[in-house]
Amino acid sequence: MPIGIGQYLVVSAILLVVGIFGIFMNRKNVITILMSIELILLSVNLNLVAFSGALHDLTGQVFTMFVLTVAAAEAAIGLAIVVTYFRNRGSIAVEDVNLMKG
Amino acid sequence: MIFAIAVFAPLAGSLISGLFGRWLGDRGAQAVSVILMLVAAFFGVVSGLRLLTGLVPDGYVFVGDWLHVGGFQADWSLRYDSLSAVMVMMVTVVSTLIHIYSIGYMEGDRSVPRFFAYLSLFTFAMLMLVTANDLLQLFFGWEGVGLVSYLLIGFWYDRPSANDAAIKAFIMNRIGDLGFALGIALVFFLFGSIRFDTIFADVVAQNHAVYHLFGANLHALDVIGILLFIGAMGKSAQLGLHPWLADAMEGPTPVSALIHAATMVTAGVFLMVRMSPLLEYAPVALAVVGIIGGTTAVFAATIGCAQTDIKRVIAYSTCSQLGYMFVAVSVGAYQASIFHLIMHAFFKALLFLTAGSVIHAMSGEQDMRKMGGLARLIPYTYVMMWIGGLALAGIPPLSGFFSKDAIIDASFYGRGGGYACICVELATYLTAFYTWRLIFMTFHGPRRGDAHVMAHVHESPWVMRGPLAVLAIGAVFGGGLLDHYFVGTGQRAFWNGSISTVNDPHILTSIAHVPLFIDFLPTVLGLLGIATAFVMYMLRPDLPALLAARFGFIYRLLIHKYYVDELYGAIFVRPYHALARAIWHVGDEDIIDGIPRGGALLARGSAGGLVRLQSGSLAQYAFVMLIGLVVLISVFLIFR
Amino acid sequence: MNWIVALPEIVLALSGMAVLIAGVFAPRPGAFQLTSMLALGALLVTAGLVVIAPAGVGYGGLYVADAFSRFVQLLILAGAALAIILSLDFNRQEAELARFEFPVLILFAAVGMMIMVGATNFMTLYLGLELQSLALYVVAAFARDSLRSSEAGLKYFVLGSLASGLLLYGISLTYGFSGSMSFAQVARALLSGTPSVGLVIGMVFVISGLVFKVAAAPFHMWSPDVYEGAPTSVTALLGSAPKVAALALLLRVMMGPYGHLLSQWQLLIEIISIASLVVGALAPILQTSIKRLMAYSSIGHVGYALMGLAAGTQSGTTATLIYLATYLFMTLGSFGVIIAMRRQGRSVETISDLAGLGRNDAGLALAMTIFMLSMAGVPPLSGFFGKLYVFLAAVQSGLWTLAVIGVIASVVGAYYYLRIVKIMYFDAPVRAFDRRSPSLSFVVAASGIVTVFFIIVAGPVTAAAQAAALALLG
Repeated sequence: MPIGIGQYLVVSAILLVVGIFGIFMNRKNVITILMSIELILLSVNLNLVAFSGALHDLTGQVFTMFVLTVAAAEAAIGLAIVVTYFRNRGSIAVEDVNLMKG
Repeated sequence: MIFAIAVFAPLAGSLISGLFGRWLGDRGAQAVSVILMLVAAFFGVVSGLRLLTGLVPDGYVFVGDWLHVGGFQADWSLRYDSLSAVMVMMVTVVSTLIHIYSIGYMEGDRSVPRFFAYLSLFTFAMLMLVTANDLLQLFFGWEGVGLVSYLLIGFWYDRPSANDAAIKAFIMNRIGDLGFALGIALVFFLFGSIRFDTIFADVVAQNHAVYHLFGANLHALDVIGILLFIGAMGKSAQLGLHPWLADAMEGPTPVSALIHAATMVTAGVFLMVRMSPLLEYAPVALAVVGIIGGTTAVFAATIGCAQTDIKRVIAYSTCSQLGYMFVAVSVGAYQASIFHLIMHAFFKALLFLTAGSVIHAMSGEQDMRKMGGLARLIPYTYVMMWIGGLALAGIPPLSGFFSKDAIIDASFYGRGGGYACICVELATYLTAFYTWRLIFMTFHGPRRGDAHVMAHVHESPWVMRGPLAVLAIGAVFGGGLLDHYFVGTGQRAFWNGSISTVNDPHILTSIAHVPLFIDFLPTVLGLLGIATAFVMYMLRPDLPALLAARFGFIYRLLIHKYYVDELYGAIFVRPYHALARAIWHVGDEDIIDGIPRGGALLARGSAGGLVRLQSGSLAQYAFVMLIGLVVLISVFLIFR
Repeated sequence: MNWIVALPEIVLALSGMAVLIAGVFAPRPGAFQLTSMLALGALLVTAGLVVIAPAGVGYGGLYVADAFSRFVQLLILAGAALAIILSLDFNRQEAELARFEFPVLILFAAVGMMIMVGATNFMTLYLGLELQSLALYVVAAFARDSLRSSEAGLKYFVLGSLASGLLLYGISLTYGFSGSMSFAQVARALLSGTPSVGLVIGMVFVISGLVFKVAAAPFHMWSPDVYEGAPTSVTALLGSAPKVAALALLLRVMMGPYGHLLSQWQLLIEIISIASLVVGALAPILQTSIKRLMAYSSIGHVGYALMGLAAGTQSGTTATLIYLATYLFMTLGSFGVIIAMRRQGRSVETISDLAGLGRNDAGLALAMTIFMLSMAGVPPLSGFFGKLYVFLAAVQSGLWTLAVIGVIASVVGAYYYLRIVKIMYFDAPVRAFDRRSPSLSFVVAASGIVTVFFIIVAGPVTAAAQAAALALLG
């Protein structure tokens, strides 16, 4: 079976859904959420590269590079915030993150 | 350009003394606002003279964009033609004099900078009003003077009566403003513009426009004219919307002189004259103006005859004189109306300031029954009061004679003039009577004040007497000097098209041929009024009490100002209170317990739901976002 | 290459780095003060450059400077500058906040926002948006030893990243189905024929991602928690400039590349707008924290601003821009008052703490009254004009339902705005607040003056907004 653009899109859509579900189905650990976010960004990158190939246009791949860079920065900041949170709360369980509500 | 300086200098003065008053101190704030008013007066007079002598042509100064919404356009711009030039000169000069007078009068008050800030702000608003180039800017100035008037009436905010008076003035004006605002809206719908030039150029073409209302065909220009007149009635305290003016005397006396005699209350007259090209095509509206104006002239004068508060007498006199001006408008003698407006500004400001001087001398006493015999103690004030009185009563050759004469002659010839003519003749007699009643009660006869007060009676300081002298010069010579230009043969060149002269042969040319008896009647009536007052208050001081006892009903009617306040109380205020109470009891406790409180409960309930949704849980927030996304996509796919 | 069109952004980015270095080497106690002043100077210079920099397209069509970006960028710079001034005193009093990185982060956030509004390509858009977001995640969690602040940072970060992911996914679909990242070329691709489903779904994803940034319902859940948890000086920033920037970006994207799909997205924006209006009108009623109340109220304001976008016309765009201009100053002014709420060196945040302010500090109470009335839309304050213009635009486009709901929402909303006024003037005073600093009074007074005297400059502002809308719609 030749692998075309459609297959790539389906895979990336599955990755996206897994990522999103990872964010709100998970009650355990904030780190899982960070990983889910990475998963979403990866699905996007897959999409971009696939489209780039299908369109014979380099822009998509250039954008992928940017997204990877930004994702690295985002992960760094995310981990920093999680560390700060852990120092204050003594836990990084998702269900504990509910001090403010209403 | 120098015209703009005249308009904006008072604003600068107001802002400086208002914002930095505490830092400048009383003296500093006074100095700044008075100096800037002097600047304004200087530039106002210079630019006015340049315009009136033909050195510069008519036109307008563009200041800036304001509002552009669809086809609706309004700019900030200052119009200068003969009409606004005359008004600017009058406003700046009189206001400057009153600023100077206030230095003495407000000495020792707790918030002098605030007073001067208001006074200058008022002057600015009034100047915006008279230099407006479109109806919206005029309305801006109109509301501005109304607002500052409210602030100044309630200046002594710790007096309940002052607060009540301020609120009364505000509400009465608001009723008038509603008419005015409707008028502006109709003008915009009819002409597609609110700029004066555009409106006036299009009046003839719109003469046939009609409104269909409840099956009747209403002449559009008449409807607009009447609505604008309702606005003018509120501001100029004409019959029906007049009660606020007398109560406004709760403010400091310089305020009464500036706002409630010389300038703001004449805004209504100014509006009528400014819109004269339109009103010329609104005969019904003009007839209404004439009837209300004439009635007010007599009505207010009769009340003035029975009042005992020195300022209230002058206030009702103002009301009555404004009636004269509207009579002039109604017969098409707009020039005479403005002539009287300007002359009135001088002699009425003089009278008010003199009254202020008397009150100052009497340590704040305003009741004439507690005065008397002051002539020897304050001779300067006494002389000034005489000058003002003579001018008001229209005794030649003082200014009031010329302007009043023009109005009376015009009303004799004017359309449907019979009624208005009789009214103004009658009012002339009453005017002279109550003026001399005031003079005799205040300055002659036994000294009725208590000894403690009388011991302190003193002439006012020079800073108060100076402005009186200047105003007196205007009141004595103004009429004779300006008669030729304002209403005489020079009027056409003088006004230079800024006032409508459509009704040719113009009424002003025909008044030169009035019968002799009409010419002399006002003077005779004036002298007669003085004589009556002399008899009643000098020769036979027991006569008034006798008359009051004999004609008790009329006397009570007059002293209670025809029970208008009580009438309004019965018709509007008390039913309103009752309604409010009913709504409170029935509505608040029954219906609000029902529908609105149900609504409130619903709101609270749904608010509770929304807030419960906000559980603080990250997962839930993400889930709601996802739901939102899914909903949006489905909406898309379904409704596309 | 026409690099000069981005001169203001370049200067601001470079000065951000320079200020960072200056902060590192500055003597410790005064570093925050120094970097704040330098940052203010940089913002001022940048504002000057924005005014004088030439208009034009640069970087091979990646970036544009036009009347639209100029209008919004000036608002952003003003918002950032006022937020820094507000933080001057607040951060000094909360010892751990007086770090020199704070103004630097705000500068970088401002660079990001400026890039967002100048973007003409999805790549530029994404980079600007991320630069802004990353800086804001950090400032939200800036109070390192405060649990609330770090929780706010965490929530903001996680949900913001999720939104960025959705946005990116939408961009990738748009790219794939239109063949380009450039706004102009996407618009051209949409001109012909019916758009493919993939493209339309991509657009919905993009809308969702952007709408999150403006905190419109149903993507608003983060904002009350973040507003409440973040230090108040940060909340003031979050409520002002980023909203303006994100809404402007939404305008640019919806009217630009997706402009031809107006009939497709109009209903979506209407739904989002109505949802925001409802949340903004109802949820504040039960709040006790003034910061949460402001969060919900700003959701409502976004709803109004979106009405102009939903209209999809030039007058609608103008209306939204005017709304943003009035909103920015009302919000910053109110936050100035909220920051002034301090007793004995500790900040207090419940609405009832305002009780008796009318007697204790008449000036502050008057300013708060002005802002509340303006937010409620009482003429002749600026908020009234913003509402007037968006209602007019909505009605002109025939969106009667939206306009009616907007009017009802503003009536309901008036309830809690007036409640604050009532509490200030009629409730028994508690204890007076601490002396407010001059910098705070400056921001409150400046915003108050803008709010009160907006009526006088309505003409020029409208003209500028019209020019901006014209530049956007070509």
